[in-house]
Amino acid sequence: MDNFMLKLNNLVKDFDGKKAVDNFSLNLEKGKILGLLGPNGAGKTTTIRMIMNIIAPDSGEIEILGEKFNEKLKDKIGYLPEERGLYRKMKVSETLRFFGKLKGMNNADIFERSESLLKKFDLYDYKDKKIEELSKGMAQKLQIITTILHSPDLLILDEPFSGLDPVNIELVKDLILEMNRNGITIIFSTHLMEYAEKIVDSVVMINGGKKVLDGALKDIKGDYGKKFIKVNYEGDPSFVESLKYVLNVKDYGKEMEIELEDIGKRDILIKDLVSKISINSFVVTEPSLNNIFIRKVKEEGR
Amino acid sequence: MKIAAIISREYKQIVKKKSFIIATILTPALMAAFIFVPMLLTKVGREEKVINVTDYSGVIHKEFIERSEKSKYLKEKLKLTFRYVEDNSSDQRALLKEYEAEEKKTDGFEFKLAPKFKKMILEKKIDGMLIIPASIVEKRQIYYCAQNISDFETNKYINTVVHRVLSSKILRDNIDDPEIVGIVQNATADIKPNLFVVKEEGTTKSSSTTAYMMSIFMLTILFSVLMGYGQLIMRGVIEEKNNRIVEVLISSTNTQSLFYGKIIGIGLAGLTQVGIWMLMGWILMGKFSLGIDRSVLNFLTPQLGIYFVLFFIIGYFMYAILFSIVGASVNTDQEAQQYAAPITYLLIIPFMIGIMVTQNPNTPLVIATSLFPLFTPTLMFMRISVAPPAFSQILLSIILSMGFTVFLAWLGAKIFRVGILMYGKKPSMKEIIKWIRYR
Repeated sequence: MDNFMLKLNNLVKDFDGKKAVDNFSLNLEKGKILGLLGPNGAGKTTTIRMIMNIIAPDSGEIEILGEKFNEKLKDKIGYLPEERGLYRKMKVSETLRFFGKLKGMNNADIFERSESLLKKFDLYDYKDKKIEELSKGMAQKLQIITTILHSPDLLILDEPFSGLDPVNIELVKDLILEMNRNGITIIFSTHLMEYAEKIVDSVVMINGGKKVLDGALKDIKGDYGKKFIKVNYEGDPSFVESLKYVLNVKDYGKEMEIELEDIGKRDILIKDLVSKISINSFVVTEPSLNNIFIRKVKEEGR
Repeated sequence: MKIAAIISREYKQIVKKKSFIIATILTPALMAAFIFVPMLLTKVGREEKVINVTDYSGVIHKEFIERSEKSKYLKEKLKLTFRYVEDNSSDQRALLKEYEAEEKKTDGFEFKLAPKFKKMILEKKIDGMLIIPASIVEKRQIYYCAQNISDFETNKYINTVVHRVLSSKILRDNIDDPEIVGIVQNATADIKPNLFVVKEEGTTKSSSTTAYMMSIFMLTILFSVLMGYGQLIMRGVIEEKNNRIVEVLISSTNTQSLFYGKIIGIGLAGLTQVGIWMLMGWILMGKFSLGIDRSVLNFLTPQLGIYFVLFFIIGYFMYAILFSIVGASVNTDQEAQQYAAPITYLLIIPFMIGIMVTQNPNTPLVIATSLFPLFTPTLMFMRISVAPPAFSQILLSIILSMGFTVFLAWLGAKIFRVGILMYGKKPSMKEIIKWIRYR
């Protein structure tokens, strides 16, 4: 058996004549974290639903651990759907017992795992509360617990950060990393690339159902080289765009990312900048995933 | 077994509901009220009544006074007291004559009651005024004035007494031979009909109204339980669909486990409820019997109980599957109500045919409809309760409806799988076929 957790081969899914997923392929090695990135409507959720056997692909193959989807695999996968929901009238502890049983766990294991996970997520005091009494964030955390309760080999998280506050986003990020350290393979989708950047091993970018980029994070970033400058400034930077050695500018108001055609031009850039605006910081950096994505989409469009 | 987890969740979710607990306790209470209250009202809940009797013929009143003094039945059960009012001086006699003279012209609409009697009644010094005219023998009429004239038992009692006294007086006045008087009295005496229902377990006293009322009553319970639990399933499916729990469920277990687990779990909850009801009913009726009409007890045989549970189970599965298919194919409760309406009609039709069942239980239409699987649970049960058909027919209906249910379950699971994961738009035929093939 090879070392692949998941293989997708030329997946196609058509909704009313519109291609939601178009000839999408992917190989994921065991023990890696993969970020499935792309804007809303790119086909991330459709791809995940096909992996989870919720909808059938029009064509193409899916293999998990070298097998076609089957009942046995279900206990090895943890899945967090994009839209969250639990039974409102059930207590927290009952919910965990129910989902644990559904994943084929025995009572003792369910109890042990629930106790430690509830403590970790600060939900222990709520274990006898009904779901409808929890806040939205707490319910989200509980749902993540139900997803990882059975210690799956493969974890599929569809937009795991949506609806969480920064503290809980950190918590979920740490959890993903910790699970991964324990050997769990993880795929998660997000349109928030700045979060993905910090945890993924490799990245697949998808737009309009098509894969636009696939590779290890460091390779991708390496390809683009250190041609990016991050500037924190005060003043009106609109002139930067018209500088002829500048390829791209992303202005955030107080900070901008500038892509140069050649890193050697950075000294000229400093001169040009200080003549018009005041500068708080000037950093040479790797491109953000966001920038890479925008460039890729532009290239595809050409 | 993952299906066990689903069954147990669905079961607990229903049984723990407050509404379930309330309905389980309250329904037998309402049932008891439905059966007992009318009986209690006619027997126990009687007020004491005083009726004045004036008798211008002079022949009838003695019997009333005598009975008032001696009859225990009159005093304790009917709580009636008759008092004789000697009234030769009053103007009631004149008023009566006037009324009798005008009766034909005015249709006898307004009776001329003497003001002092009217006052006594309105002030509730007495409850009624019985006036026996001098012409009683010829005209065979009496007059009873009261505020409440719908007390059936009192009316019947007065009638019977007057009738008896009058007939023996007429006989004695016209025939000298007491033997012949006896014979004629015998010949014209009332006949008391005793009605018995023939069943395998025995031939027992009953009345046609009891059988009809009870079977309609049990049909109503069957209907409301099938409807109630069907709707519960439907709403549960819509909830899971809307909050996408179903995606997690489907990715943890297979559709069959989800579909059948849900139906079995909720069905067990329904069976628990019906079981508690039957147990409570059995305790109430069997142990204490609470002065219920014997005919009700005779109607509720253990055999009927078994049929009730059997048809409940078959009917439940049939309608639960139909309701869950609707739940899986729609997105909102409103939409669901619209699609569930035809299912409700299927449950209501037997009520209409039910009237026919009580009158002519063996017409071809009744037989055919009770063998039609969707109607069997209600109609065949009604036939069994009113006039048991041949066992072969019962057996055939059970086989047909069970076979139909199995087919429905197979088809339902397929449609459920497609419907429950389709959001927004309705699944196209192409999509459905693709899914049935894909599995």
